[in-house]
Amino acid sequence: MPPTREHDDEQQLVLRLQAGEAAAYREAVRRYTPGMLAVARYYTDHSSAEDIVQECWTRVISAIASFEGRASLKTWLHRIVANQAKNSLRRSQREVQTDFSEALEPQLASRFRSDGRWSQPPQLSTRETAESLLENGALGDCLDKHLSQLPEAQRSALMLYEAHQRQSAEVCNILGVSASNLRVMLHRARQKIFLMVEHFQETGQC
Amino acid sequence: MLMCRDLAVIASDYIEGDLPLTQRLSVRTHLMMCRHCRSFIANLRNSIELMKGHSDQRLDDHYARRLDEEIERALAAQRGCEK
Repeated sequence: MPPTREHDDEQQLVLRLQAGEAAAYREAVRRYTPGMLAVARYYTDHSSAEDIVQECWTRVISAIASFEGRASLKTWLHRIVANQAKNSLRRSQREVQTDFSEALEPQLASRFRSDGRWSQPPQLSTRETAESLLENGALGDCLDKHLSQLPEAQRSALMLYEAHQRQSAEVCNILGVSASNLRVMLHRARQKIFLMVEHFQETGQC
Repeated sequence: MLMCRDLAVIASDYIEGDLPLTQRLSVRTHLMMCRHCRSFIANLRNSIELMKGHSDQRLDDHYARRLDEEIERALAAQRGCEK
C-alpha cells in the first residue's frame, strides 16, 4: 500500500517524539488524547480515565524509542491505555458492566407484535437527512444529552468506533470484546439515538 | 421468512454491509414490501450519521495543559538522567 499523507505526517511526528521535542508532544496530546480517553472510559470513570491517560503519556516518553510502526501511532497509544486501564481495573477488583444478551433495546422490542410485525411502526419521515435534522440546533443539544447518558461502556465503544478507530477489529482488540458483542453495543446505541430523534420530531421535546 | 422484528435485530449489520448474501437478499426483498422497515433503516442510517458528527469530544484546555506540564517535567527528568 503506498504511504498516505497521513502516514507521512505520523512518521514525522514519531521522529520528533523520539527526539524528545516538547512541541511534538503538545501536538500529539491534542491529536490523540480524545481517543485515548474514550478507551480509558470503557474501563473506568471520567476522573480515573484522565489519570490513566496522563500516566500513559509519561510512559510514552520512554516507550516511544521502541515504537516500530507495525501499528499506527494511534492504535499503539490506544493499546497502551487499554493495558494500563485493565491493570487498574484488576487492582480495584471491578468489572466492566455490559449487557450483550439482547440485540434490541426494550423500548423498541416492545413495538413488535408476537408475529414479528410492527405494532407501533416508526413515525419518522424518510425524507429527512442527518444534515437537515442537524439544522435544528435543539436536536444537536438533545443528541449530546442522550450520548452522555448512554451506559459508559456502550458510549466509549461507540466513540472509539465512530470517531477514532473505524476498524471494528481494532476496537475489539483494544477493548477485549468479541466482534458480535461490539456489534450488539453499537446497534443498541444507534437504536437509542433513533428513538430519541423519533421522540424529538414527534413532540419537539428532548 | 424474515419478519420486521428480525430485520430490526440485524439492521446495523445490513447497513454496514456485514450480512452474508442470502440474508442480504432476504432483507432487500422484505424492504421492497414493507414501508415501515424502509423507514426504520433510513432513520437508523440517519442516527449513525448524526452520531459520527457528535462522537468526537473536544479536549478540555485545562486538562491538555496539565498533560503538557507533566510531559515537560518527565522530558526534563529524562534529559537529566541522560547527562
